[in-house]
Amino acid sequence: MAWQAIEGSFRDPSGFVYTRDGTLFRQVNHSFRQPFEAFLASGLYDELVRDGLLVPHEQVGLELAATNDAYAVIRPEQIAFISYPYEWSFGQLQDAALLTLEIQERALARAFTLRDSSAYNVQFQSGRPVLIDTLSFEPYVDGKPWDAYKQFCEQFLLPLTLMSTRDVRCGTLLRSYLDGIPLDLGSRLLPRRTWVSPGTVLHIHLHAWARGRYAGSSVSSAAKGRSMSRQALVTLIRGLKGAVRGLKWRAAGTEWADYTEDNNYTQAASRSKRDLVVSYLREAGANVVWDLGANTGEYSRAAREVAPLVVSFDLDPAAVERNYRRVRAEQETGILPLLLDLTNPSPAQGWAGQERLSLVERGPADAVLALALIHHLAIGHNLPLEKIAAYLRRLGGRLIIEFVPKSDSQVKRLLLSRPDIFPAYTKDGFEQAFACHFRIESSAPIENSERWLYYMSSRRPNG
Amino acid sequence: MYIDPTTGSLVLQILAAGVLSVMAMATRVREAVKHFFKVLVPRRNRWPGKQ
Repeated sequence: MAWQAIEGSFRDPSGFVYTRDGTLFRQVNHSFRQPFEAFLASGLYDELVRDGLLVPHEQVGLELAATNDAYAVIRPEQIAFISYPYEWSFGQLQDAALLTLEIQERALARAFTLRDSSAYNVQFQSGRPVLIDTLSFEPYVDGKPWDAYKQFCEQFLLPLTLMSTRDVRCGTLLRSYLDGIPLDLGSRLLPRRTWVSPGTVLHIHLHAWARGRYAGSSVSSAAKGRSMSRQALVTLIRGLKGAVRGLKWRAAGTEWADYTEDNNYTQAASRSKRDLVVSYLREAGANVVWDLGANTGEYSRAAREVAPLVVSFDLDPAAVERNYRRVRAEQETGILPLLLDLTNPSPAQGWAGQERLSLVERGPADAVLALALIHHLAIGHNLPLEKIAAYLRRLGGRLIIEFVPKSDSQVKRLLLSRPDIFPAYTKDGFEQAFACHFRIESSAPIENSERWLYYMSSRRPNG
Repeated sequence: MYIDPTTGSLVLQILAAGVLSVMAMATRVREAVKHFFKVLVPRRNRWPGKQ
């Protein structure tokens, strides 16, 4: 039986992930046999899995291996929806960073260390961050500093510091710098007041300087025989934890921060909309729902009553952050808040544009919610209705979409400072445009408002 | 190691190691002193009326 390569998994000589018939496996190569066995035998694996920090796996037969290099094959628990650091809110990135450091500290306690600290080794499952790279551990060598220190600073600490001290939108730099924001760039972008904070001075400013200063040298000549004790390394990790924890961001001051309290819905309208959404989703029998423009996830939570997984996308970092804080505080499973600009969605990235999947490649969803959204796309972004329909069809088999007419106060607000150049933006125009790509199964007006809710299914199979 | 840790990052850790060791010891000393006083004067710090 043939195996399917996962294009993003090729850098690590110790093993790689691939699929067979849709199931994910990880091959452990012969070269990594000893560290892997030692890792399992040490009790570290059991401890991390027991505390929900690492994905559990099952060892399976070698006949399921991909190549002859295999020493063992494991089947890790599958992640329901893969997301990337540039799609995470501040809090999600912060928690992923703290998870990495917590794991490193526990590893050191058992004489192991993380071989890398890539943010892509962390995924969100059941509302919490978890390490997915089971092969990330190797025995700790006395005196050796942490190989993954620079990677941690560039992938976690620096982006978080920029988001906290400069502007939360600096997080989008992670989309350009897949290996993390370069230390020298970050050091230049950080405000002067960060030079007063010892943690930032050490891990970022001095670190950036050291990289430049020692660029051409070998470690032995530069270190002149000195080494780093395990205790010093643990102190470094704890210091990093303190630095990460100390970073704060008030999830406010962005355009949509106050939407939920500030919109034009009456209680009756909200309730009617909610009930309709739930009944349509029940009809759709959806397992995975994508809620586009979800804001703080009010309707995602309604969807959650019916579907086990709701990915709650929004453009606004404050909205995503608030959504995530609620997930964390109430320990909700099955809701994954993520940052997404639908007019410029996450593209395929990395080598050959294949290491990180685009949004569409991670679908399709069973059902897509597009509530209080269409007017922003059609009027706010001048997108023709037919183009919107075409793209939405690629995202999921069923669509629950709210039509917001021009008489609605939110649309009037959009048209305040510009001429109305949207003659086709009417209920009929909307239905016509969408009928090209969807079959309109049913529709209903939302109580106390002039909006309509539609339940549609894709006309053609998703391409 | 399969990622490039880069010389500068390794050197920084080693250079910082001395300071970090001192910090670790200082923390241990501080904790020990705190503990000593907690044990020595367990109830003295309770003001009347304070919970």
